[in-house]
Amino acid sequence: MLAAEGVRKHFGGLAALDGVSLEIREGEIVALVGPNGSGKSTLLNVLSGFLEPDGGSVTYEGRPIHRLEPWDVSQLGLRRTFQLAAQPTRMSLLEVMLAGARLPEGSSAWRSVFRARRVRAEQRAAVERARGLLEELSLLPLEHHAAGMLSGGQQKLLSLGAALMGDPRMLLLDEPTAGVNPTLRRTLAERLRTIRARGTTLLIVEHDMNFVAELCDRVYVLDKGRVIAECAPSELAEDERVVEAYLGSVRPTAARRAPGATAPPPEVRT
Amino acid sequence: MLDFLLGVAVVAAIYGILAISLNLQAGATGLLNFGLVGFFGIGAYATGISTMHGAPWPLGMAIGLVLAAAAGAAVGRLGRTLAAEYWAIATLALAELLRLVALNTDSLTRGPQGISAVPGFFSGLGPQSRDLAWLGLAALVLALCWWVSQRVTGAQFGRVLRLVREQPDLAASLGHDVVGAKVRVMAISAPMAALAGSLYTHYISFIGPGQLEPFATFLVWTMVVVGGLGNAFGVIAGAAIVQLLFDVTRFIDDVFDIPSENAGGLRILVVGAALLGFLYFRSGGLVPERLRRIDARS
Repeated sequence: MLAAEGVRKHFGGLAALDGVSLEIREGEIVALVGPNGSGKSTLLNVLSGFLEPDGGSVTYEGRPIHRLEPWDVSQLGLRRTFQLAAQPTRMSLLEVMLAGARLPEGSSAWRSVFRARRVRAEQRAAVERARGLLEELSLLPLEHHAAGMLSGGQQKLLSLGAALMGDPRMLLLDEPTAGVNPTLRRTLAERLRTIRARGTTLLIVEHDMNFVAELCDRVYVLDKGRVIAECAPSELAEDERVVEAYLGSVRPTAARRAPGATAPPPEVRT
Repeated sequence: MLDFLLGVAVVAAIYGILAISLNLQAGATGLLNFGLVGFFGIGAYATGISTMHGAPWPLGMAIGLVLAAAAGAAVGRLGRTLAAEYWAIATLALAELLRLVALNTDSLTRGPQGISAVPGFFSGLGPQSRDLAWLGLAALVLALCWWVSQRVTGAQFGRVLRLVREQPDLAASLGHDVVGAKVRVMAISAPMAALAGSLYTHYISFIGPGQLEPFATFLVWTMVVVGGLGNAFGVIAGAAIVQLLFDVTRFIDDVFDIPSENAGGLRILVVGAALLGFLYFRSGGLVPERLRRIDARS
């Protein structure tokens, strides 16, 4: 569904991405892990059109997208969230949610002046939908509050909600659990599974290995701008390069104790 | 006294149109336009030059609106490559460029002496009823611009503008063309400023390069900041208050014993003090922008 082929991106002398290739198939939940500075966010920026790669290509549903503007990529149904999911301080949660919806009537300046009735009708359905999603994200009581005043974790949830308003076929999530409390994390994992069940493919940048093990089908490990491993979450701790680059030293017993995706993740000592 | 207040009200209403225009750019979209007077000038000179060559006034006005829309879209397009601060400087430079062109192309604009005897409206009426009619006309145009501004900012289009103002990356990630939003809002708001320029030129029957000084832009900025950046009602109130203040201080040299040649500078000082005072003590303005409450019915 989404494939990167030999993607390179340099910042000055630094090779942030040094020939990255990966492929995400329809219906999968794939994790992208790696140490800080390994190029995860840069890769996400390239995949979503926010950065143009110096070399290589990105194809989404068979068409090259690496030269498209980010909003064009988003309109194709490939949406993303940000690691720092900063929200506007002078817009309410509901407004941000609606901004995520596709409202062709209200998006036109002409029609918002002269077709106010149709603009309102179109918006009414979106408001219902937005409130439903806010409810599921435990944000409904705050619907009329300023989005920028939310806690960091709540801002993350809101950006997920706004992205979902556009019914994306694929979602790229940059650390969706960072700053989200443990109870809500579990809800979030369930929620992401539901999203997948409804037909959305997911690529998730995540540091929480429990979350990855619980949720993801496959993992790509990135280090120094290269893919150093691609495996099932349960196999992570068995890969020496992954352990060395990312997980730190792992007790071998712990690694052997993880036979499947539902098993407890490797114990990590850094 | 009534004549004086009527005159103030007409000019305040015309400046109110400018304030609505600037508010769409700076308030709704976060576009720091320091060259607003350039669009005012496009409308004013289009009217001045056209009527000088005997064209009917609606033609001059229409030419100004079309030119301003095109220029606005082009300037908005610069926002693609220029970050907010640099864009702001570019607008200031472009407006100055326009003023220098007006000052130096004598054959077209009559240079420093400007274009006078621009035909006014309602010339059959007496002075007081003429101003009253002008007030009605200016208020009507102002109301129309306010209505357009409300409609546009109240719909999804406006939400996208506000998201572009605060979190452009978030807007792009949700599928909104960030550059296109700037281009479109400039193409809508610049003609409003041109309309104000055209009306003003008809009202005072004159346009010269002196009216395109950057001070005019900052007078509108003061109105918008005093009224409340982002609040269309507030900025109209701001226009009325600041214009009244600006015109009342005309009599500063009568009340206090100040040489009249210094009084002009003092008026500008008063406007500057109002701007600083509000920025410092009440940056939201008199009627600050409020969160828009959306319910299922709206």
